Amino acid sequence: MSGREGEAIAPVASAGNSVAQQAATVVEAVVERVFHSVAAVRDIALESHLAARERGEPMRDHHITAMRGPLVDLLGRQREIAVGLGVIVSPGLLTDRPLRLEWWQSEPDRDDPVRLEVDLNRHSVGFYDYAAAEWFAVPRRTGRRHVVGPYVDVHGTHRYLLTLTVPVIADGEFLGVAGADVPVARFETLVLRELGDLAADIVVINSEDRVVLSTSAQWLTGSLADFGHEDSSHDVRPLALADSPWRVVVARGRAGNQ
Amino acid sequence: MRLLSGDARRAVFAPLDDGSGRSEAVVRRLGSAIALGIVVDGEQLPSEAQLAALLNVSTVTLRDALSDLRARGLVTTRRGRGGGSFVRASEEALTELSVGRLRQIGSTELRDLGDVRAAVGGAAARLSACRASASEIARLREILDRLEVAAEGTQQRRIESRYYIDVAAAAQSVRLTMQEIELQAELGQLLWGTPRSATELVLTIASHRRVVDAIEARDGALARELTEAHIGQITAQLIDVHVGLTRRASQPGVRAAALLPYPPAPAGVGP
Repeated sequence: MSGREGEAIAPVASAGNSVAQQAATVVEAVVERVFHSVAAVRDIALESHLAARERGEPMRDHHITAMRGPLVDLLGRQREIAVGLGVIVSPGLLTDRPLRLEWWQSEPDRDDPVRLEVDLNRHSVGFYDYAAAEWFAVPRRTGRRHVVGPYVDVHGTHRYLLTLTVPVIADGEFLGVAGADVPVARFETLVLRELGDLAADIVVINSEDRVVLSTSAQWLTGSLADFGHEDSSHDVRPLALADSPWRVVVARGRAGNQ
Repeated sequence: MRLLSGDARRAVFAPLDDGSGRSEAVVRRLGSAIALGIVVDGEQLPSEAQLAALLNVSTVTLRDALSDLRARGLVTTRRGRGGGSFVRASEEALTELSVGRLRQIGSTELRDLGDVRAAVGGAAARLSACRASASEIARLREILDRLEVAAEGTQQRRIESRYYIDVAAAAQSVRLTMQEIELQAELGQLLWGTPRSATELVLTIASHRRVVDAIEARDGALARELTEAHIGQITAQLIDVHVGLTRRASQPGVRAAALLPYPPAPAGVGP
């Protein structure tokens, strides 16, 4: 195989429009479900911030540590969806520590969640510069929620992931981001269950033309699929997601897929 | 969450599941973690009892392993309050470690390691050409830029490991990525014994850049071919060094480390 995978696409029948609409509705609903979990993470951060302010205290390291219990509880309740979640603090927000994150992950062969430990020393070789990471930088810049992935989580959980983040903002002040990691396979299961058997192949692609999800092995998850942006030969529908424009494509497979 | 460093650390202190319970396995695990910079210079290791429990070996085995690591200069032990075992990741100590390993390992094992590296790295490069996004390609270039300006040999080796691991990640394959991480850990133990000249580094970087160019041009066959050819060369060099070490070490009174262009380290080498 050379070049991009899955190139030939047959034109779509006029019924494709409604199929695309149905598929888009399903995918959006699943994405909303995940963002709902992320919103719960954000609320934990906002509560902690509010509590500190009511006591007239500036945000400190221990206020972040205090979120630990609620975050671990939430991760336990969200096992169906998220394998990791937490809060990443805006650099300089805390008066006693320049950088801080509180992120918890569940592991396949362990009952108790594990806290993510990273090197936040600016001068060390392995410095983890989270402020530059897309999932942090984009919500900070735009004030809007964001989806990164699919990508291979190299040094974390060794999973194939989507990372969803939302900015945490109180009275116009950016406090950091709240986020969750969702395995691509889990996301796929949630969508496929809802999709049922629509009479066409559905391909969801992200802003980098990477296949997030597909109902046909002709378009493999993780591969690049060039459907073009303005091509009328297939039905491409943007999804109302976030700042990361995904698209749903309805295509008829080559091998007689109805 | 995408990490630059992080709980690769946890894998270091995970139970040894090869079932052998041998101290060499502990030495290899901790040695490669030190070589890859997962545990860093000056870092305190967990207590003997804790570490033995984490790695699932007996305290006797662990003590043997620690004394071996001390002999190799990779660990120092301080007694008393605030005491314990601390990591020493000096260039000399790492060189000693890899020279010892290069003498132990046979040339067929080196060839075999090269074969698997070529299979994994070559497949990763080919798939990356199909699947890498623009931002992933940009990151590969950024890693190579960092490699170009890295001063120390140890740092260069670590950054180069990142290059191979990120190519596998850009192939969107968790399994290839995990394979590559394991291969790099194993390789890390061998490479410090093979110093490379400035010219060799330049050629290596140029070779990696050609691979990234091929990935960007979506030429999977070329990306694979270039990767396999480069790994083949590196493997041949390792075998040359191994043969040289073994032959010269058979001469009485010659210590292997003294044959390398590094200052001789204080500790003995190998068994």
